[in-house]
Amino acid sequence: MIRFDYEEPRTLAEASAVLKAHAGRASVLAGGTDLLVEIKEHLRRVHCVVNIKRIPGLDAVTFDAATGLRFGALTTARRIELDADVARHHPGLRQATRELGSIQVRHRATVVGNVCRASPSADTLPPLIADGAVIEIGNGTSTREMLLEDFFTGPGKTALQPGELVLAIRLPPAPARTGRIYIKHGRRRAMELATVGVAVSITLDEARICTKARIALGAVAATPIRARDSEAALEGRVVDATIIAHAADLAMAASRPISNVRASAAYRREMVSVLTRRALEQALATIP
Amino acid sequence: MSFDVIGRSVKRNDVVEKITGSARYAGDVRLPGMLYARTLRSNMAHATIRSIDTSRALALPGVKAVLTHENVPRVLHYGSPHPRSASLAQDQYILDNKVRYWGECVAAVAAISEEIAEEALELIDVVYDPLPVMATIEAALAAGATPIHDVGPGGNLVAPPIKVRRGDIERGFAEADLVIEGEYEGGRPTPAYMEPNVCVCHWEHTGEHNSAASDRSGDKLTVHISTQTAFMVRGILAEVLGLPLNQVRVIVDHMGGGFGAKQDLFQSEFLCALLSRETRRPVMLEYTRKETFLGGRSRHPVKIWLKQGFKRDGTLTARQARVVFNSGAYGSHGPGVTAVGTTAMTSLYRCENIELEGMCVYTNAPIAGAFRGYGVVQTYYALDIQMDEAAEQLGIDPALLKRKNAVRAGDLAPSGHPLVGHGLEDCIDRGMQEVNWPKTRTHQRSSDGARRFGWGIGCEMHGSSAYPGIKEQGNAIVKLNEDGTAVLLTGTAGLGTGAHTALAQIVAEELGIPFERVSVMHGDTDTVPWDIGAFASHTTYMGGRAAQMAATEVKRQLLERAAEKLEVAAEELELRKGIISVRGTDIHLSVAEALGVARGQPAAHLVGSATYTPTKSYSFGAHFAEVAVDVETGHIEVLQVTPVHEVGRVIHPLAAAGQVEGGIQQGIGHTLSENYEIDPVTGKSLNAGFVDYKMPLSMDMPPIHTILLETAPDPGGPWGAKGIGEDPIIAIGPAIANAVHNAIGVRFRHYPITPEDVLNALRAQKTEVA
Repeated sequence: MIRFDYEEPRTLAEASAVLKAHAGRASVLAGGTDLLVEIKEHLRRVHCVVNIKRIPGLDAVTFDAATGLRFGALTTARRIELDADVARHHPGLRQATRELGSIQVRHRATVVGNVCRASPSADTLPPLIADGAVIEIGNGTSTREMLLEDFFTGPGKTALQPGELVLAIRLPPAPARTGRIYIKHGRRRAMELATVGVAVSITLDEARICTKARIALGAVAATPIRARDSEAALEGRVVDATIIAHAADLAMAASRPISNVRASAAYRREMVSVLTRRALEQALATIP
Repeated sequence: MSFDVIGRSVKRNDVVEKITGSARYAGDVRLPGMLYARTLRSNMAHATIRSIDTSRALALPGVKAVLTHENVPRVLHYGSPHPRSASLAQDQYILDNKVRYWGECVAAVAAISEEIAEEALELIDVVYDPLPVMATIEAALAAGATPIHDVGPGGNLVAPPIKVRRGDIERGFAEADLVIEGEYEGGRPTPAYMEPNVCVCHWEHTGEHNSAASDRSGDKLTVHISTQTAFMVRGILAEVLGLPLNQVRVIVDHMGGGFGAKQDLFQSEFLCALLSRETRRPVMLEYTRKETFLGGRSRHPVKIWLKQGFKRDGTLTARQARVVFNSGAYGSHGPGVTAVGTTAMTSLYRCENIELEGMCVYTNAPIAGAFRGYGVVQTYYALDIQMDEAAEQLGIDPALLKRKNAVRAGDLAPSGHPLVGHGLEDCIDRGMQEVNWPKTRTHQRSSDGARRFGWGIGCEMHGSSAYPGIKEQGNAIVKLNEDGTAVLLTGTAGLGTGAHTALAQIVAEELGIPFERVSVMHGDTDTVPWDIGAFASHTTYMGGRAAQMAATEVKRQLLERAAEKLEVAAEELELRKGIISVRGTDIHLSVAEALGVARGQPAAHLVGSATYTPTKSYSFGAHFAEVAVDVETGHIEVLQVTPVHEVGRVIHPLAAAGQVEGGIQQGIGHTLSENYEIDPVTGKSLNAGFVDYKMPLSMDMPPIHTILLETAPDPGGPWGAKGIGEDPIIAIGPAIANAVHNAIGVRFRHYPITPEDVLNALRAQKTEVA
C-alpha cells in the first residue's frame, strides 16, 4: 500500500503553506497524468500530494495584443491546442500540444505541469522557450518571475523553492513577420516521447534580414537548451541555405544528448542538425 | 455453390457484449473472499538461490500465504502442455532454486489486497549466487559455456538439431549460374496482447473437514483464465498438482488476444492454484503490463545463414540454410518453432536440392514461445529477401521471379503432403494486376525533398493445423432445440478474432437455419467437448469442420424425424432457411414443427457429435507494399499495402479482412520498430513497457487494400476453408524490406530496421560509391 498525505488547499496562501510545511517533499497534483503513473509504477516516492485544482482562477487564459498570451497553471494542453490566439501567434506551441500524449491525456494534462515535470524531452518546453516565455511564481505572499529558459536546473529539477507554486506562463506578443515551428522527432505519430524536439522562432525585416532568432532544443541535454550560437549566426543576416546549414550544424554542436534505448547520442545529434534546418526552412516559408 | 450464411459478414455474436462492456474477461471475475497475488521476480539473469527468507513478508498484516521453491511441489513439466508433442520442451518447475532469466518468478504472495501483496514482495529477502550470464546465442554456444539446464541434449541446445536433405546440394550449386549467400537476423518482438495474463483460482475442499491434507478426493479446482488452450491448462494443472481431470475445471470466457503466446503456462497458474489451496480462498493473479514483457513470451530472435543457386532464367537449383533460434531461458515451443520454421524453407519457392539445419539454443534471456507465424516469419523473411536480391542480380522482375518459382499443386509441402491448387501464383497474379505491377515499381513517384519511394513484394504460405508436429483433433457437439434453434458446444477459445461467429455460421449453413438461431457454448472444460486449443490457424479449418460434421449428423436425425411425420423418405427432403420441404412439392414443415410435441409425444432431443482429425492445409499470400524513406532522418513509412490472401473459402469476409489488417499492423511493428531489448551482458530487460517498446498505433497505419481469394479450396476444411490467423504477419516484413531496397538501394537483412540503421547504411553506401 502506498501511503501519503493528501491536501486540497483552497487558496494560493494555503497551498504555499502546505508546500512549505512539506519542504520539497510535496508533489503537486494538477492533471496528474504524469504524477499518478509515477506513483503507481513506483518511480516516485510521494510523501504528500497537494491537489491545486480547488484553487480558483488558475485556469484563466487571456490574450491581449499589447501584452500577449497568459495562461494559468491549470490550463490544459487541450485548451492551448484549440486556442485560436495560440494557433495564430504560437503555432510551434500549438503543434507541441497537438503531439503531447493522446487526446484523452491532453484533456487532463496541464502545460504548466509539463513544464514543472522538467523532463528534458517534454514537448511544450522548446516552443515556449523559443517564444520567450516568462514563468510567474508565487509563494503565497509575493510573486516573482523569470525567463522560462532559466527555470530548468536538471532533469526533473526546477528553480522552484519550497513553498513556491507556478501561477502562470506569459508569452510576449510575436513581432510581425515571425515564423514559428516545432518539430518533434519520434518513431510514431501519436503517443510518443520526443527523441529530439526542435522549436524555432525567427523574425525577418522587409529585406528578409533576420532581426531575431530563437532556437530551442529538447531531449538533447539535461534540460531544454537554446542554440545560442545558431541564433547569433542567423541574426543580422539574409538567411540563405548556407546560413541555415551553418546554423543547423551549430545547433548540433550545442547539443549534449545521451544514448538510451530510444536512440543513440550520435543519431540524436545528427537529427538536431537535420531538424533545425527543416524547422528554419519551414518557419521562413511562412513569412511572406 | 450458393450459400445462405457463410461468405457474409453477419453481425458478430459477441458484438453487443463487447461494445457495451458487459463481456466478461477473467480479470472481471470477483469471488467472495478473493485474495490477490503478486509474484517476486529475480533481478539476476542467471543465479542459484542461496537463501530465501519470507518471514518478514508473512508478518505483514493482510498477507495470507507466501510460496517459494521450498514449499511448492517440484515437478518437471512442459512449458506449454500439448500432450506428448515433439514440439515442446520439458524443462520447467513451478519454482526452482535457480533462476535462468532476469524477471523469472522466485516467490508468490497472496494478500487481502494487491497493494499489500506488492508491499510484501519487498519484504522477501533473496540471496543469489550469480552464475555466468549468456544472453546471446554466441555466448550460450561458446566452448565451455555453463549449461543453463541439466535436461536436453546438452551444449545449451533445447533439442537435437533438425536436419532436412533433399536432392543433391553439391550438384545443385554446381549447376547454378548465380550463387547468393547472406546472413539474416531477427529481433525480439512480443505479442503485446491487450489483456495481460490473468487467472483466478478457487481450490475448494468439499471433503471431510478433518481429512488428511493428502486426501484430495473431494477437492475441486476451478480456474478462470485467459488462455488459448483451456484443456491443456486443465491437463497440466491436474498432472502437476495431482488431481484427476474431473476435479479441475478451467473456464475461459472472453479473451483480449493471445497470438500464440497464451498456449504456455507462466508459473503463475500453478502458483495461483497453490495459493488458493493453502489459503482456502479464491485467489486472483494478474500480470502488470511490465510482467507481460518480463514473464511473457516473445518471438524467437534468430540468426540465419542462407545460400541459394539460380539458373540465368531464374530457376532455383539449390538452397542451403542454417537457422539458429534463441529460445531464451526455457524451451517452451522452441523445438516446434525450429521444426516448422526450418522445414518451411523446403517450400514457398520450389527447389529440388535442399540442405537445411535448424537449431534452438537456451540463453539467459526472456522466454521465446509460440507467436503468430511460428518460426516462419523469421525464415521467410530471409528467403523472400534473398529472392528479391536474386531478381535484382538476374535482371528479372522480383514478382515474376517469385511467380516462376512459386510452389504449386502437387509439390511437396513442408508437412510432406502434396499441395492443393495454385494459391501462391494466384495471389501474385492478382496483386500484380491490382497495383499495376511492374509499372508501379519501375515508374516510382519522384523524390519529394528527402523522401524516396519504393515498392516491394513479399510472399508466404502457412499451414492450418500443427500437423505433423502435433496430431490434432477437433470436436463439436450440436444440440437442436424443439423451437428450431441450435446450440454449438465447442472447446475452442475465442481470442477476439470472431471465431465463434464463424463456427456458428458454419453450423447454421450446414443445418439450413438462420444464423441468429445458433448460439455457441464454449470455454468450460466441464461442459464442452475436449479441444486441443486455438492455435496454428486451425480454428475455422479444424474446429469449423468438426462443427460442420456435428451439424450434418444432427441434420440427418432431424430429416429422419421429419420424413416420418411427412411419410416420405428422408432423401426426398431438403432443409433451407429453417424450412424442411419435400423436393418438387409445396409440402413443407418448419424445423420447430418437425421437432416439437405432436400427438402426445414429447419433443425430440437431437444431438450431433463429431470428431475430426485433420492433416494440414496451406494458405497463401502475397503482399505488395509501398514505402517512403526519409534519407535524412532514416524514417521508413509504409504508405500502402495490397495484401492478397488465398484462403480456400471465406466464412466471414469482415473478420477475415480484420485478421489481415491486424497481421499487417503487427508485421509493420516487427519490421520497423518493435524490439524487446535485453542487455547482452547482464540479461537485464531494457524496455519492458509501452513507453519504449514501440508498437505502431492506429495513426501510423497505412491504407490496406485487402483481397481474399477462394481459388484453392482444401478438401479438409469446411467448404474448402483454410486458415487466415497467422498468414498476414509473414509476408509484410520482406515486402517492406524489399520496398526499402527499391527506394534507396540498400539491402537490409535484419529486423527491426531502425532509422539509425538506415542512416548508417546510406553512409556506407556513399563511402562505397566514393
